[in-house]
Amino acid sequence: MLLSLPALHLQTSEYHPLFQLPHGRLGPWCSPTGSPAPLSCETGCGEGSWILVYRLLVPTQVSLLSMEEDIDTRKINNSFLRDHSYATEADIISTVEFNHTGELLATGDKGGRVVIFQREQESKNQVHRRGEYNVYSTFQSHEPEFDYLKSLEIEEKINKIRWLPQQNAAYFLLSTNDKTVKLWKVSERDKRPEGYNLKDEEGRLRDPATITTLRVPVLRPMDLMVEATPRRVFANAHTYHINSISVNSDYETYMSADDLRINLWNFEITNQSFNIVDIKPANMEELTEVITAAEFHPHHCNTFVYSSSKGTIRLCDMRASALCDRHTKFFEEPEDPSNRSFFSEIISSISDVKFSHSGRYIMTRDYLTVKVWDLNMENRPIETYQVHDYLRSKLCSLYENDCIFDKFECVWNGSDSVIMTGSYNNFFRMFDRNTKRDVTLEASRENSKPRAILKPRKVCVGGKRRKDEISVDSLDFSKKILHTAWHPSENIIAVAATNNLYIFQDKVN
Amino acid sequence: MEVQKEAQRIMTLSVWKMYHSRMQRGGLRLHRSLQLSLVMRSARELYLSAKVEAHEPEVPLLPVRSSDPRLHQLREAEAVSEAAPPDSEPPSPEPMDTREAPRAEETPAPCAPRPSKVSRKRRSSSLSDGGDVGLVPSKKARLEGGEEEGASSEVPDRLQPPPAQAEGAFPNLARVLQRRFSGLLNCSPAAPPTAPPACEAKPACRPADSMLNVLVRAVVAF
Repeated sequence: MLLSLPALHLQTSEYHPLFQLPHGRLGPWCSPTGSPAPLSCETGCGEGSWILVYRLLVPTQVSLLSMEEDIDTRKINNSFLRDHSYATEADIISTVEFNHTGELLATGDKGGRVVIFQREQESKNQVHRRGEYNVYSTFQSHEPEFDYLKSLEIEEKINKIRWLPQQNAAYFLLSTNDKTVKLWKVSERDKRPEGYNLKDEEGRLRDPATITTLRVPVLRPMDLMVEATPRRVFANAHTYHINSISVNSDYETYMSADDLRINLWNFEITNQSFNIVDIKPANMEELTEVITAAEFHPHHCNTFVYSSSKGTIRLCDMRASALCDRHTKFFEEPEDPSNRSFFSEIISSISDVKFSHSGRYIMTRDYLTVKVWDLNMENRPIETYQVHDYLRSKLCSLYENDCIFDKFECVWNGSDSVIMTGSYNNFFRMFDRNTKRDVTLEASRENSKPRAILKPRKVCVGGKRRKDEISVDSLDFSKKILHTAWHPSENIIAVAATNNLYIFQDKVN
Repeated sequence: MEVQKEAQRIMTLSVWKMYHSRMQRGGLRLHRSLQLSLVMRSARELYLSAKVEAHEPEVPLLPVRSSDPRLHQLREAEAVSEAAPPDSEPPSPEPMDTREAPRAEETPAPCAPRPSKVSRKRRSSSLSDGGDVGLVPSKKARLEGGEEEGASSEVPDRLQPPPAQAEGAFPNLARVLQRRFSGLLNCSPAAPPTAPPACEAKPACRPADSMLNVLVRAVVAF
C-alpha cells in the first residue's frame, strides 16, 4: 500500500516520520577524518580511498515503530526482490542531485517524494562531524494522476531534480515526473510573529469589544521549521514522457525534454513554452530514434545538446533558429563492425549526457561504455571507458530479464578529472581521466563497516576466480546503481542503490 | 537451425514484452517500444535469412512456385518495405538491413521498384515455401481459415478480420494479442476508449498479416 504524504513541515528536532529515525540521530556511520581533501590528482580514484560517511536505509514497511539502526539490508533487498510489494517500490530512489554549493543533496523516489539532505555545518566543537548529511526537508512533490483522455495513469515517480542557483535565503529546485515539472521553494522559518491584536495566541479571533489597548506584533524565535511550497507548476506541455530537465545558465529559462520534443520555459510563465526541438516524424511508422537526454551548456546560454537512442549527440545553437531541428554539431562514432551483435542497436542507445564543468567536453553513457567527447571533434569520442564489458556476451539474458533497458547515469567530479557511473551488483565505477586508472567499488551494507575504507572490487571474467573476486554469473542484476551524484567541489559522492542512499567521502591519508 | 530457434525465441519474447508493457503504470514507453520493435525486426530478419540459407538448395523450385504466392498474396511486408525503404527515408533507420545486405539482398529484389505504401498490399516473395507461413502472411490460409501453423513456429500465422475496430494506442497489437494470449494471460488489457490518430485502421479486405508484421508496424505507430 502506498502512503501518500502531504507536504511536510519538518521540524529539525522532531522524530522523522518518513524514515522512522529521530532526526537528530541521523548521524553517519563514520565521520571523515580531517578536512575534506582538496581536489587534486593525488586523490584521484585510483590512489584515493573512499569511506562511508552516511547511509540511509528505507524499511520495507512504513510503520510507526522505531527502526533499529542495524537492520539487515540484505533482508530488505531480498524481500523487495521477491515480493515487489508496492510499498517498497515507492521507496526506490529515482534521482540524486547535489545543489551548486554541495550543501544540499536532493533525492527523488518512485513514490513522488523528494527528500533533501543538508550538510552539517562546521563547528569548532565538533570539527570531526563536518561532512554529515542530515535530512533537511521532505515533501510530496508529485501525486499519481490519471489522464482521462487517454485512459493512462501518470506515474508520480520523480524522473529528475535540478537545483537553481541560490539567489536569496530560500532554495529552489525543479522536480519532474513524466508529464509535469514543478518549481519548489524550500525555505526556513525560525521566527514567528506574536502579539496580534485581533487574534489570540491560538489564532482565534478576539472580540473587538474586549480590546482595550493596541500593541505591535513582534517576531519571536521559534524552533526551526523547513517548509516546501510549490511555486510554479509547468504542466500539459508534453505528449510523451519527460526524461530530462536542464536549467539554463541565464537562470531565467530551463528546458524539458521528452521522447520527441524539447520545450523551453521561462520560470515566470507556466502556461506557455517554446518548442525548440521536434523530431516527431510526420508518419509515426517512420520513427527511428527518440531523444534520451538533454542538457544546457554550463556557460553558454544559447547552446544545448541532446542525445538519441541511436547513440548520436546533437549540439544545437538557439541563435541559429527558433526551431533547432537542424543541429549545429553532430557527434557520432562509427560502429565497430567486430562488435556488431544482435542487440547492437539497443546497447548503443545513450542513457545520459553530461557537460563537463568546464563546458569543453560532454560525457555520454550507453549500456556498456562511458565516452568523453570533445566539443570540437564530432567524428569520434576522445576517450572510451568500458564499464562492464563482460556483459557483452550476456546480452541475450539481459534482454530476457529486462536489464538491457536500464538507463545508467554518469557524473563528472568537480575538476572534470574523474568520471563515475553505476553498474550491477551495487557496483559503481570511477575512471580517472589523467592517470587512466579505474576502480570498482560496492555500495552494500555487508562491505561497508563504519569508518572502513571501501575495498576495490573486481569481476572475474573467466577462468580461475581469485579470492575476493566475483564471477560474472554470480552478479546480482536486481541490485543496480543507476543514479549517482558528485559534490561540485569536494570528493563526496552520493550513490543510490535501489532504495538505499550511500554517501561516501574520500579519506585523506 | 539453432539460429532460427533462437531468433524465434527472441521474437516471442519481444511480443510478450510488448504486450506487458501495455500493462505497466505510466502507459506505453515510446523508447522501449521502439527498442523492442527493433529487436523483433532483427530477430525476424535473422530468422528469415537463416531460413533462406536453409532453403538455398531448393532455389530452382522457387520460380515454379512463385505463382502460388501471387495467388495467395504472400507478402514480404516488413522485411522488404524496410529493406528497400522509400526514397525519402534514409537508409540508416534500417541498420540491420543494410548490414545484413548479403543475406537480405534476394528478398528485397522483387519488390524494390514499388512505392512503399501501395506495395505492402501485393508482393511476391522468394520465400514461398509453406513451411514459413508463420512469418510471411498467406491469404490462402486466411480464406481457408485453416490451422496452417508452421512446424516450428510458435507465432500465429493468420489474423481473423477484427469484429470491431480495436481501440487503444496499438489497436492491431491489442487485437492480435488478445486473441492469441487470452488463454494464456489472465488479465485483459484495459481498452482505452479513443484511438490515437497515428494508428491506421485495418480494413477487413486487406490480406492477412502475420502477427509480427502487425506488431512491428503497430508498435512504431504509437
